[in-house]
Amino acid sequence: MARDRNQNDDFIGPLRRLLVSVLVVSLLGIFLLWRIDSPRVERFRAKVVDIVVPNFDWAMAPVTGAVNIARDFQSYNRLYQQNQELRDELQRMKAWKEAALQLEQENARLLDLNNVRLDPRLTYVTGVVAADSGSPFRQSVILNIGARDGIVDGWAAMDGLGLVGRISGVGENTSRVILLTDTSSRIPVVIQPSGQTALIVGDNTAAPPIDFLDAPTHVRPGDRVVTSGDGGVFPAGLLAGQVALDPGGRMRIRLAADYERLEFLRVLRDYGREAIDTPGSLIDPGVEIEAAPPGTDITSEAADG
Amino acid sequence: MVERSTTRLWLMRGLFFSLGAALIFWRLLPLDTLPDGFAGPDLMVALACAWVLRRPEYAPPLLIGGMILLADFLFQRPPGLFAALVVVATEALKARAPGLRDMTFPPEWLTVAMAMTAVWLVYRIVLAALLVDQAPLGLSALQLFMTVIIYPAVVLLCSSALGVRKIRPGDAESLGVRT
Repeated sequence: MARDRNQNDDFIGPLRRLLVSVLVVSLLGIFLLWRIDSPRVERFRAKVVDIVVPNFDWAMAPVTGAVNIARDFQSYNRLYQQNQELRDELQRMKAWKEAALQLEQENARLLDLNNVRLDPRLTYVTGVVAADSGSPFRQSVILNIGARDGIVDGWAAMDGLGLVGRISGVGENTSRVILLTDTSSRIPVVIQPSGQTALIVGDNTAAPPIDFLDAPTHVRPGDRVVTSGDGGVFPAGLLAGQVALDPGGRMRIRLAADYERLEFLRVLRDYGREAIDTPGSLIDPGVEIEAAPPGTDITSEAADG
Repeated sequence: MVERSTTRLWLMRGLFFSLGAALIFWRLLPLDTLPDGFAGPDLMVALACAWVLRRPEYAPPLLIGGMILLADFLFQRPPGLFAALVVVATEALKARAPGLRDMTFPPEWLTVAMAMTAVWLVYRIVLAALLVDQAPLGLSALQLFMTVIIYPAVVLLCSSALGVRKIRPGDAESLGVRT
């Protein structure tokens, strides 16, 4: 047997070795190509995801559901206690709901008095989480909506309550959302009562640290963190979470979105803001106005505020 | 006889591919979207090492490379590098397989652990040299450790449940006869 194998090696061996080295070199070539021309290969990656993930989709939903049911089953033994807690909570929430309704009416009245127009273009597309990143080192999810649904790179994704991440990588039927917890995520935010701007820097933990804070003494745990809209990354004013202090005394953000159960995500359509690039005919009549008349600029400005 | 063993060869290759696809599928399930500071074993590498040392013909390098390249693309890793390293490592293991065939399990485990360590080390060094963002060192080391730890279990499963065993001199199959 052993001799047999050796004889085989005599004529198959060199050819095999050649083929294996061709394989290894081409794999390394893909890696180098990725390093040199990342966007092109990343587009290819989005295409691969686009082809593979929808094929798994029919099986993924039931398996995920089954595993989640099994996990929920473990909590059934605390059912009574949980029920009591929920009743208590519901009672408290009713009070809040009443307050919220009154505030909403008041807010509507005030908005009406001030003649404010909210931006009508801030609509959203809802997608279902089809898969996660599959790696403990990266935090992202794949949604079942893509270029077909008009998704564009860079749009914000939220769950019902808070910011979850941003779109990075769009295929025809799928798109990838980089979560705020991923190490490559950087989101400009403003901390609400004090108005301090900062960055949320993902570091692969459940509560990303808040960085580049100008005056940390003005910020307290519990302050609201919302997106600032700086750099045109996101629309301003999306809730991200609350400030919290970790045991080391570092500012972190407790995310408002429920990261444990990401199931449906809203992707906010954001077509950017209109820039005012002409001086306007009143100020400088010598300049021809090619873009929209100044009137529209003023209304869009008001809508942004 | 030849036809049947060819059928079996392709069946086993198909099995290897479907195991890899199942692993990718399992990892992609959106079950834990919360980062938890724990990295499970890379079962695909363990599987490739175990099969290559037992039945190299069932796990050809093209299949291994293609599978891990697909995983690279889906798991947001730098594409190609890890696949190339695993192919090189499995080829090296294959070259040492005749020596390991007659030994007990511990030397094999040690060899595989060394090969895996080399893969992880070179992977990190190349990424660092090319200034690519990479995972925290602790997590990476944990993943390597878990992969080495899980290896005997993978071997046990493959040999007992899937019938991927080393060819021994008296095996019916080695004589080209199927029972």
